[in-house]
Amino acid sequence: MRRTSPISLVLAALLAFGFICFMLSPSTPSASSASASSQQRQENAAEHPLSPPTKPFFKSQPVRSDGYKAAPPVVHYDLNSLTNTPDSVANGERVLILTPLARFYQGYWDNIERLTYPHELISLGFIAPKTSEGNAAVAALEKAIAKTQSGPIDNRFASISILRQDFEPPLKSQGEKARHAMAAQKERRESMSRARNSLVFTTLGPATSWVLWLDSDIVETPATLIQDLTGFDQPVIVPNCFQRYYDSSKKKWDVRPYDYNSWVDSQTAQNLAANMGPDEILLEGYAEMPTYRTLMAHLPDMKKLDPKKMLALDGVGGTALLVKADVHRDGGMFPAFPFFHLVETEGFAKMARRLGYEVIGLPDYFVYHYNE
Amino acid sequence: MNRHVLEKGHSAYPRGSAFSNSPNRFQPRSQPALRRRRQLFQRLFLLGGVSLVLFLLIFPSWRAAILPSISLGLLSYPGDLHLQTVRYYDLSEVQGTEKGWERGERVLMCTPLRDASSHLPMFFSHLRNLTYPHHLIDLAFLVSDSRDDTLGMLSRMLEDIQNDADPKMPYGEISVIKKDFGQKVQQDVESRHGFEAQASRRKLMAQARNWLLSATLRPTHSWVYWRDADVETAPFTIIEDLMRHNKDVTVPNVWRPLPDWLGGEQPYDLNSWQESETALALADSLDEDAVIVEGYAEYATWRPHLAYLRDPYGDPDMEMELDGIGGVSILAKARVFRAGVHFPAFSFEKHAETEGFGKMAKRMKFSVIGLPHYTIWHLYEPSVDDLRHMEEMEVERLAREKEEQQRAEQKDNTQSKSLVDDQNVDGEEVQGSAEGPAGQPMKDAMDSTQGHLKAQAERVDEAEKAKS
Repeated sequence: MRRTSPISLVLAALLAFGFICFMLSPSTPSASSASASSQQRQENAAEHPLSPPTKPFFKSQPVRSDGYKAAPPVVHYDLNSLTNTPDSVANGERVLILTPLARFYQGYWDNIERLTYPHELISLGFIAPKTSEGNAAVAALEKAIAKTQSGPIDNRFASISILRQDFEPPLKSQGEKARHAMAAQKERRESMSRARNSLVFTTLGPATSWVLWLDSDIVETPATLIQDLTGFDQPVIVPNCFQRYYDSSKKKWDVRPYDYNSWVDSQTAQNLAANMGPDEILLEGYAEMPTYRTLMAHLPDMKKLDPKKMLALDGVGGTALLVKADVHRDGGMFPAFPFFHLVETEGFAKMARRLGYEVIGLPDYFVYHYNE
Repeated sequence: MNRHVLEKGHSAYPRGSAFSNSPNRFQPRSQPALRRRRQLFQRLFLLGGVSLVLFLLIFPSWRAAILPSISLGLLSYPGDLHLQTVRYYDLSEVQGTEKGWERGERVLMCTPLRDASSHLPMFFSHLRNLTYPHHLIDLAFLVSDSRDDTLGMLSRMLEDIQNDADPKMPYGEISVIKKDFGQKVQQDVESRHGFEAQASRRKLMAQARNWLLSATLRPTHSWVYWRDADVETAPFTIIEDLMRHNKDVTVPNVWRPLPDWLGGEQPYDLNSWQESETALALADSLDEDAVIVEGYAEYATWRPHLAYLRDPYGDPDMEMELDGIGGVSILAKARVFRAGVHFPAFSFEKHAETEGFGKMAKRMKFSVIGLPHYTIWHLYEPSVDDLRHMEEMEVERLAREKEEQQRAEQKDNTQSKSLVDDQNVDGEEVQGSAEGPAGQPMKDAMDSTQGHLKAQAERVDEAEKAKS
């Protein structure tokens, strides 16, 4: 070492540097040394910006020999080979997580970042109203997205679409009281239906196998949520939505039911519906309208939980809801009008059943809602 | 200013702690210590370098973060950094207006195809002639349950159109979707003409339409245009013509030309109608899953049909409110589909598919209109009855021709006899070649065209459409 001249040291360093570069940077994107996930991402990418929102696209665009931009390519999609199976990860099935964005919670974003389902198979879709609240939520969301999508590659999502609603939300304030007042409920849920439909029918694309509806205020789910729910292999499946709260009488944290829209129908409710006008709807959780339906929220016995327990439902809530893309493709949507006296997610369950699909609830599998 | 600074002299120099070390202070030489630990430093650097390389090899995903910094930006990491993953869309900018072509509004054109290779050349000639700016139109095809080369032919023709030398010819996004719904249709081949089979067939077709739309509708679309491949004649400006009405759902009148012996023309699409009291009463009397199909004697609905209101000299801009619509050519605002209106594959208010679509659009308070005097022409494909009749006419025609030929022969014979006697042998040969070999291929050709027509007729029946 002592006798080597500085020049040979510099040369050796250069050589070593060149070697490292050669080892780590493949000359073509498809070279084998690129990570599996980024290679998969490249292969899934669309050539042209005019492409399904569930795909990323290449930033640079080819040009024709005569100087015009090359026309978009003819793209074939074989939907016969699109599967939705219990072994979703092994089959590389794509999941679209859809979220109507009312407010942005960091807890929500952290939670979906923690999901262990391969992120290169997950696309996200958001829809937010064009109000100042919506603007704030979108701004916060974009900040979170920018951080994740420029971070470690395996952590990035395949693609993200942000939509802004083309209609006014019915209520300016989204305070807890105003939101649940019965009179306003119908209008609010019809508007919500339109938002959900706009989101799913413009972002579904030809490659999605599963759609996971996840509300923007779901801040805690098991990290294996998607694997667990797809594992049941049900067309429509809904976990139980609870909320953590601080019980000041017992001086400790506890859980309580939050979403009451998942239920098994009752004769009372059917009789109520039979006597209603065509534009009236049944609502759950109001003392003025006792339906005596079996509510999934009240079923779990905290002492002996069985997360595998299934229950056939007639209505579902939308806080967290996994749907086979086929159901939406067949026309399963969230009625923005009284459909058999039901709207939104409850109407969706009804429509799915009319299309011949089963609707299943998981009383002992929990996701948690933000506590306001 | 400068002068002032110079006058002050020292004020040009920074004062304070930065220059606090005085030249008189003793400073120890640092060299020997460094030299002493040189080996240690070398080892540390070596260790660090090796571990970094190993680290990068083990966690490839960290390369993108680390490589640019250690390579001083000389290396651009290929791959993800060239991908655009985030898209932002404002749906209020794609509402759809009456002058969409001026505002650059995108149109999604949806065409379901099934065993349609014979219609494709005609369809593409229409496509090439459309006047709405082609780059604003995204094409979507669904090829299902086809036994002919519809898919291959379609892709070849689409490639041609996208690589056309004329820069105005290529369309926007082109999606060709393959999805077989099969099975159920194949099973009831015998009953598919029947009234009973209509409902389930309509539901299957609704399903196909929904799959096509849900896979290809984008947040960039302002309009959706549904167009069947078997339209024979339609104005090149049809998209603009329907768009100008600025209604949520607009359909033209659909007729078809007929051979002269059948009257020359006929209303084709009877699925566009206005609701009637009779039909509503009928709907109330049926059970929840029943589907009313228009155009069958089983359900006498007495509805006013768009098709029958046509006046060839009427004002093509005249509008008529509709409740059910046909699917041959529909222009709808994309927001109708975004709101959730679709082609019910279940009984929706006792209707399915396009009629159910009209009903659902009305239910969600969208405007649905038809243009009674703006007509497009569906291809005429003879039905089985028509074919039988044509066969009879053909037989009659052949008989007549034979009679004429015989008459002509008799004339010929008398003429040739009177002409030359010793050319008798040659004359017979000539006669033979005129009647035998020449007559045969002609008959073959006739048979094959009839076979073809029959095959076509089968396809028509399969390919649906409620006919009167």
